[in-house]
Amino acid sequence: MTDIAATAPVRTSWLGRLEGKLSWILLGLVGLALPLLDDSYIGVIAQRAYIYWVLSAGLNLVVGYAGQIAIGWVSMLTLGAYTTAALAAGRVGPEWHPYLALAAGGLMGAVFGVIVGLPALRLRTFYFAMTTLAFSTIVTQVALAWKDVTGGGVGTPGPVFPWPFEPGWGFYYFCFILAALATWVTANIGSSRYGRALVAIRDAEVAAEASGIVKARLFTLIFLLAGALGGVAGGLFASLQSYITPEAFTFEMSVLFFIAILIGGRGSILGPALATIILTALPEFAAPLVQWSTFLYAALLLAIVLLVPGGIADMLDFKNRRPLTLHREIVPRTELLSRVLDRTDGRRAIVLRDISLHFGGVRAIDGLDLEIRSGEVHGLIGPNGSGKTTTLNVISGYYTPKTGTLQLDGADLPFDQPQVRANRRIARTFQTPRLVGAASVLENVMIGGTVHGHASFTEAMLSLPRHKRDERVLREAAMQALATVGLESLAEVRADRLQHSELRFMEIARALMLRPAFLMLDEPAAGLSAEEIRRLGDLIKAISREGVGVLLVEHHADLIFDICDRVTVLNLGKMLAAGTPNEIRSHREVVSAYLGA
Amino acid sequence: MSIKRRTVLTGSAAGVVSLTSSLAAPAIAQSDPIRVGYLPALTGPSSSTGVGITRGTELAVDVINKSGGINGRKLEMIVRDTQSDPTKAVNAVAELTQRQKVAAIWGPLNSGEALAATPLIARDKVPMLHPCWVDSLIDVKKYPMAFRMAPTNTQVGKGANHYVFNVLKLKKVAVVSDTTGYGTSSANTYVPMLKAMGAEVVYTNHVDAANPDLKPELLRMQSAGAQAIMPWSVNAGFLSRILNTRGAMGWDVPVVGQTTLGSGQTKALLDKPENWNKVYSNNFRNCCYVNGKLPPRAAEYVERLKKDKIEFADTLLWWVALGWDGAMMMAETLKAAGPKNTDMVAYWNNKVKGWPGIYGTVTWTPEEHNGFPDEDVVMCEVNSLKDGAFNIAPGYSS
Amino acid sequence: MLESILSYGLAVGAVYALIGITYNVMFSASRVFSFTAGMLGMLGGVLGALFIDKLGMNAILGFVLVLACGALLGVVTEILTVRPVLKSIEQHLYVLSTLAFALMVQQVTAIEWGTDAQPFPALIPIDPDSILAIIDQKFWLPLLACIVTIVGLEFLYRRTLIGRAFLAIAEDSYAARALGLPETGLRMASFALAGVIGAMAGFTGAQMLLAYFGNQPILSFYGFVPVALGGMGSNRGAVIGGLALGVFQQAANFLVGGIFAAVAVFAVFIVVLLLRPEGLAGAATARRV
Repeated sequence: MTDIAATAPVRTSWLGRLEGKLSWILLGLVGLALPLLDDSYIGVIAQRAYIYWVLSAGLNLVVGYAGQIAIGWVSMLTLGAYTTAALAAGRVGPEWHPYLALAAGGLMGAVFGVIVGLPALRLRTFYFAMTTLAFSTIVTQVALAWKDVTGGGVGTPGPVFPWPFEPGWGFYYFCFILAALATWVTANIGSSRYGRALVAIRDAEVAAEASGIVKARLFTLIFLLAGALGGVAGGLFASLQSYITPEAFTFEMSVLFFIAILIGGRGSILGPALATIILTALPEFAAPLVQWSTFLYAALLLAIVLLVPGGIADMLDFKNRRPLTLHREIVPRTELLSRVLDRTDGRRAIVLRDISLHFGGVRAIDGLDLEIRSGEVHGLIGPNGSGKTTTLNVISGYYTPKTGTLQLDGADLPFDQPQVRANRRIARTFQTPRLVGAASVLENVMIGGTVHGHASFTEAMLSLPRHKRDERVLREAAMQALATVGLESLAEVRADRLQHSELRFMEIARALMLRPAFLMLDEPAAGLSAEEIRRLGDLIKAISREGVGVLLVEHHADLIFDICDRVTVLNLGKMLAAGTPNEIRSHREVVSAYLGA
Repeated sequence: MSIKRRTVLTGSAAGVVSLTSSLAAPAIAQSDPIRVGYLPALTGPSSSTGVGITRGTELAVDVINKSGGINGRKLEMIVRDTQSDPTKAVNAVAELTQRQKVAAIWGPLNSGEALAATPLIARDKVPMLHPCWVDSLIDVKKYPMAFRMAPTNTQVGKGANHYVFNVLKLKKVAVVSDTTGYGTSSANTYVPMLKAMGAEVVYTNHVDAANPDLKPELLRMQSAGAQAIMPWSVNAGFLSRILNTRGAMGWDVPVVGQTTLGSGQTKALLDKPENWNKVYSNNFRNCCYVNGKLPPRAAEYVERLKKDKIEFADTLLWWVALGWDGAMMMAETLKAAGPKNTDMVAYWNNKVKGWPGIYGTVTWTPEEHNGFPDEDVVMCEVNSLKDGAFNIAPGYSS
Repeated sequence: MLESILSYGLAVGAVYALIGITYNVMFSASRVFSFTAGMLGMLGGVLGALFIDKLGMNAILGFVLVLACGALLGVVTEILTVRPVLKSIEQHLYVLSTLAFALMVQQVTAIEWGTDAQPFPALIPIDPDSILAIIDQKFWLPLLACIVTIVGLEFLYRRTLIGRAFLAIAEDSYAARALGLPETGLRMASFALAGVIGAMAGFTGAQMLLAYFGNQPILSFYGFVPVALGGMGSNRGAVIGGLALGVFQQAANFLVGGIFAAVAVFAVFIVVLLLRPEGLAGAATARRV
């Protein structure tokens, strides 16, 4: 399809996942060969690490990827353990086969994962952390009180799995296989558009919304998966412990899972896996420290948060230590635009009529009319506080005005739903670039194309063909977009290593991923050099000539007058003037009030 | 003193012993020490029991080794601190049975850890002695190699119920527990027992131990006509609140229950010393003063402790005695039967009849691995604490 | 019976309210919720028992020292766990840094002080026959502390220059900085003030709650409930919410028993938050584009 994709080696570098492949193979070989030691003490420690990892792998998507602070996730372990144990022991109806009971434990975890997780949609971080804590307390209390099923305080025996995973090395392999499965599944999600969307929600939520990512749906799926893995881990835990009581499920354990993920590194799979293994084994080999272990974990967490927010994964990310070329130039290739954009047929328009919006007592916009037509660059200028960005935010669905209508091609465009804009092919950039700093430039751009994926969550989880095709298409499109804006040489670089001007062009590339019919740019020239502004102007002009309607909010009068087809001047939320650049240039009021020339 | 926290890694990679095969005596030279695993909770919450018991166990191991050891071989206790955490206990069992190849295990000392550890120790076919009270921990069919050195929860409850109903002759009883596993299960077991004896349980509840206010509880007990309060909890704060509230209400009702009622921590939390009057806690006949004197075996033991300058006034005599008995039982069995697991179990099954421990008299049979006699569970007056022991409660025939 | 529910409920509720105010004072200055609020309450009791019972100080000196320790810990919290992560507040790293710090302090307390609840002395020698002894001091001390705190804060915020500066920071820290207010200094002062209030909560409540390391998570949670219900930053909401929670909890203890009382409180908390995330009294916040 393209020459660019062929020349630039495209690799998935989701925090060095490819580099990590070798580590996974080594870890797997060690795990497979461990029984040769014939030391079942090591076996028990390893089983514990695998079981904890099954839970942490799921929690990693919640905490590490989506950034939701679920500190009480031990409740999933409790639920899974009791469900599996109670069903297998026949405390509820007839005795279930242990493997079926384990599946039921996973199911229970999935159901409650969603119930506990979904408040994250409505609650602020700290509040959500508190509700997960509250829930884990409730679960323990119910386990104590519901004597018939849980055995109350005396507890209940854990399930014993029959052949082929009978206690001993059989069970060891069972835990190993499930841990490997959990790794594979979560790594697939992590490197899919779902994983990128989660990280986008974590680090750049408004950009995620503008890219059409629907948080509610995505979170439901993630909490379902994380809960199920937690439940399965619980069933295995009950079997390893041979007997469970409510006291076994401590807050310290929850803290251990949680800290392992953060020490490992947010947005990584390998890092948290290594950290889980280390934290599980450490107290066994450092006996004098046992009493201080929780203190040390906490100290480690504090050090990580303050000093290495990227965790182990960052330390393993050697590729991004290589120095970048210093005097880099951004040279957009406008001739590639025809491949990046779909030509818009006929005349289309976004029309605002009589829009008014108040913030408290301040009138941010006051009866504004505006029309953005395809194939034209529409400039929006005005002094600070005149309502430019607010207007853009109304169009992209972040604000609901008090009065007025907003229409796309004659049909109402709903207010207050930013995530529906992407499907209408309305793209935007932000005044301060919104990016995922820890992800590569390529991945940041791919986030923009999330709505073009076809594979379902399950397909992505199992890495089925449709998912692979999605990834290939998205990656090629992203490379195209990067080549178009002139950043393809930086595709593999972590986004937070880019210069400010490069981030502006990266945001445009991300917006182009929607193959937009309308593109809204919020001060794209801020912080750019004169030469860069000129190239930006050429790029914007070329984009509009492909039939895209562009709304340009800008302070640089030169840029506006160079490339705009029409200009609207705002003052105090009202339209001061509108017309062609030439008309505006000679508008008396504008000249005296704003241009000052 | 040959107690080690942890020995170095002993190579076992060459061995062909699989996980589930029985553990025969390790093939080592006759002069090597015989290893026994020991699983106390030495740190973390509720570690005071473990610290007390460990004092007795350490002393016994010392005495055994100074007087020639086990037929010339040293007895080595390999200690792993369980921290009152079942997951730590599970790891420790794997280390002791598989890597250290211990001949037998003494412990865990707490029921929470023992519930998880016992099936695993049974699976590895290692003989096990423990002093935990939970009834289900002894099951001749499921755990044929596990034996108990102490009373069961049922016996403990029976002792308290017997004292309230038969000795004090009180018919209306209030039973209250905290919301922990131990508390709820104890209360739920003892209430039916009381009813079966013919007592009237006028009030029963599980209360959050963190709840600062127990006055509503006591008022309801009082209005229900309770003549005795039976609290089941190991939480000193909770128990002291009951006693303080009783004192503040000026209610002269006897309190009969768990051993923690008589602990130093409970005492420290009392508003005034009188709140400890008319409080009777579980204890063991062999370790109680009767008419100001300890029974002969315990008296002799205390003399020995004093001679060896072993401090025990800051802990409880029955803890130290229990630790001593556990190690002594191990040593005696190893001397007589050798370190082979089946031989040890055969000895316990057939040869332990009326074994004269300091803490209790133990009798086991192939059908009954609970060795503690009912009549040795008594109540004591908690305010009579002297040198780690209590007066037996009034009313018992001596 | 009702009298018992009310006396204990209001006293415990006052402690919760004070912890809630501790959360609020820190939040107003920094937009940060800190897990150290419960830690301060726990330490108020433990340090008080240490100074007065173990080291034999008199009650007033002990009280002043406890408050000083609270202030010091507040400042340490600000410097160590809040300031370094403020610049990227949208990443919510403060949740982790304050949790880590609170856990470290709790562990040190558990190891050095012990894991058993220990007694806390009666502070004010009162003749048992005097009129003051009708209600035990352990009930009215937390209430008194709560009243003093709320009156003091009102006075500080409304009548003093530094208090207005606090309010300005809370309203709009960017604008406040532009006006030349020493934002960092005011934030540190707020955390010190929060430390004093939190330590006072623990100190005055310790005759009921005892000097116990395990009080930390309980206070962290039950102190947060009034903030969540009353709306963040609202001290009046915290007081009303705290007292209501205390009475509700005692009534539930009394009516349905221990296990279900705890479940009831937690469940009400979750449900209320889901229905009204901004709290029963709070207002919805604007968007952030």
